[in-house]
Amino acid sequence: MTLIVRSESPSPDRSTVWLEGRLDAATYAAFDEALRDVTPLLDNGGTLVIDLSGLEYISSAGLRSLAQLRKQLHDRDGRTLLLNPQPQVKKVFDIVKAVPVAEVFASVGELDQYLDHMQRQMTAPGG
Amino acid sequence: MRLRIPNRLEDVFLALDRAEGALDRAEVDASCRADVRLVLEELLVNTVRHGYPDGRDGNIDIRLEVEADVVHLELRDDAMPFDPLQHEPPDLPGDIARREIGGLGLHLARSIASEFHYARDAHGNRVVIRFDPSDEPAL
Repeated sequence: MTLIVRSESPSPDRSTVWLEGRLDAATYAAFDEALRDVTPLLDNGGTLVIDLSGLEYISSAGLRSLAQLRKQLHDRDGRTLLLNPQPQVKKVFDIVKAVPVAEVFASVGELDQYLDHMQRQMTAPGG
Repeated sequence: MRLRIPNRLEDVFLALDRAEGALDRAEVDASCRADVRLVLEELLVNTVRHGYPDGRDGNIDIRLEVEADVVHLELRDDAMPFDPLQHEPPDLPGDIARREIGGLGLHLARSIASEFHYARDAHGNRVVIRFDPSDEPAL
């Protein structure tokens, strides 16, 4: 199995990308290319959700692609949130301390709750 | 499993699939299979990309053995001398977006292997790695 990338951009402030298969030295270029079509649809300050439920394996080549994506979003005041990493991916993330724990979510519910919370903080009177 | 591959990326990935198949047939659990695949990918890709800067053809020998629950891996290559153990551990600030690109592959390989030895002899580089699956939670 190689890599399948699907995406959905229902609004300019949020896009979701689903990964399935392996993100490694053989597939990272396809991932980079697929994301080049997705990130321009996001407004500055938007949220990119990467759903990892179907990703069974990642190597350092895949980490490099994720790092570049995170940098790119940071530079546009946006964020990359990761959803439901599976055991191998989780283990690799842990070893290299890939992302802050607060930006990895076990379920869509948890992620929506976090985004609602962020939204309320931004719109709450007095900050 | 014994396999000799040329120093080309496409052959590395064929070897990874062969190795995974061999481990599957030996009933090695999924978590340990993924560990072996990752270490193999990181080391082989590194050798192919950086080990032959003059662009010459080279060979990499892969030997994989399963004994009880332990997986033994031996890699030999005729690339330029390279000891993966001599590399400094990378800087890990807690966010891959806040660090320089690179250096994570060897760190992953060393972290995941239970034992990791390097030697260089007349034939070239030799790496011997042991994987103990027993301390892994079952998937």
